[in-house]
Amino acid sequence: MPAILTIAEAARLIAAKKLSPIELTRTHLERIRRLDPQLNAFLLLTEERALADAKAAEARQMSGALRGPLDGIPIAHKDIYNTAGIRTTAHSRLLQDNVPTRDAHTVKRWADAGTVMLGKLATHEFAFGGPSFDVPWPPARNPWNRDRFTSGSSSGTGAAIAAGLILGGTGSDTGGSIRGPAALCGIAGIKPTYGLCSRVGILPLAFSLDHAGPLAWTAEDCGLLLQGMAGHDAEDPASVARPVPDFTAELGKGAKGLRIGVVRHFFETDNRASDATRGGIDAAIDFFRKEGAEVRDVSLSPAVDYHAVGYLIMITEAFTLHAPWMRERFMDYGELFRDRVSLAAIVSGPDIVQATRRRRVLCREMAAAMEDLDIIVSASQMGEAPRIDSVPKWANMEKPSFTMPFNVTGFPAISVCTGFGVGGMPVAMQLAGKPFTEPTLLRAAHAYETAMPWRAKRPEMAV
Amino acid sequence: MSPPSTDDAELAALLKRAGLSLTVSQVKAILPGVEIVQRMIERINAPLPREAEPALTFDVEQD
Repeated sequence: MPAILTIAEAARLIAAKKLSPIELTRTHLERIRRLDPQLNAFLLLTEERALADAKAAEARQMSGALRGPLDGIPIAHKDIYNTAGIRTTAHSRLLQDNVPTRDAHTVKRWADAGTVMLGKLATHEFAFGGPSFDVPWPPARNPWNRDRFTSGSSSGTGAAIAAGLILGGTGSDTGGSIRGPAALCGIAGIKPTYGLCSRVGILPLAFSLDHAGPLAWTAEDCGLLLQGMAGHDAEDPASVARPVPDFTAELGKGAKGLRIGVVRHFFETDNRASDATRGGIDAAIDFFRKEGAEVRDVSLSPAVDYHAVGYLIMITEAFTLHAPWMRERFMDYGELFRDRVSLAAIVSGPDIVQATRRRRVLCREMAAAMEDLDIIVSASQMGEAPRIDSVPKWANMEKPSFTMPFNVTGFPAISVCTGFGVGGMPVAMQLAGKPFTEPTLLRAAHAYETAMPWRAKRPEMAV
Repeated sequence: MSPPSTDDAELAALLKRAGLSLTVSQVKAILPGVEIVQRMIERINAPLPREAEPALTFDVEQD
């Protein structure tokens, strides 16, 4: 079986005419046919479309008209991203026959960049309820151990990339739905700054917390994919009109001189992470320090404060969107989605105003803490993936999340694999930056990844 | 201070006010999550200075 390439590697080979986009696509279609029955990462395979995209990419390759590093690259979309003429279900019975007439803004951007679309990927129902076994399709499985959870909600994207079914894919992140699957599937995933990527055509969960972003095997690949997604869209009221930087411009500059703060209390006392997770973060901090970064501990409000603000806003915004369907078709939702979102009924008007007031206080706190820092480090997840059949209904509420603080503030954050823990399952750290400093965030992540051996190891089933 | 407890009937009433007329078993399935959300509500209701405005304050330049 051919080695699985990164996007950067494949792009170089395609540009040098040493790799055929059609052959690359056929290789990935074959991998999907062979491995996905064990993973359930795909809800829909769009083979005909993929081969047509690949043929067009190869024609551009042969005529010297490649559109850039994403031309000819096999990708797939989380099934909350609208795809014109192609079923988009949100992994829900409510939309099982939904066929949009228009691509999401970001889907079109990637298509215009020459990507090859292989299909639509599993998600948690409407990017929130999962892992669910009572919706029309089964949940995605973790390629490192198929009895284990992928995290969510970009579950299919995480599984498909880790298993080498695709080289990159879309995710969305309202409380950690890009960074969670990236962490538990041992890949990279970046939630960009709020407003950097358009959400138009992506089925919303909670408008003020929703972010679109990419997942890939490496931080460098995330940068390449983000380049193809970011930019102003007048149709998205949150979209920011500002020049898009070169996200890979700082790669290779190393970690020297970076000012790094460690939010140690998040993962040591607020919600103590696993031994392997804490060990991986400590080793990464040692790496950054040895490379010449300035590292110090930094203190924020307890993680539970960020979590409470984010969660209450998330369920009330989600209920606002779903109430018409929930009132008419309550049992058509899976149990996890309907029961979690129904809890918005106990949140009062004054409660939600108070949550948004506190949100601003927390935003100011984080901005002040980062004034003389480039990066803050914490955990992505509590630890190694749990069994998929033992994730409690209230699991995402009971303990404070490490990812939610950056949805509450809108600051960019990336999850990077830091090795392997109990049972050989991946563990990860989270790096966050100030708004619109994605190039610096990717620089730090890339410096770490290229110095460590973790990117050389794939799940056994994928090799 | 522990959050106020809510029983099935109170939760059913709140859900109904939100437009969800649910069966007894449907309400019971949601009930265990109530205490967790009530703890969050208690957390966000800790006093703030009067001048702390919401994050979504109206912005005259938006439209």
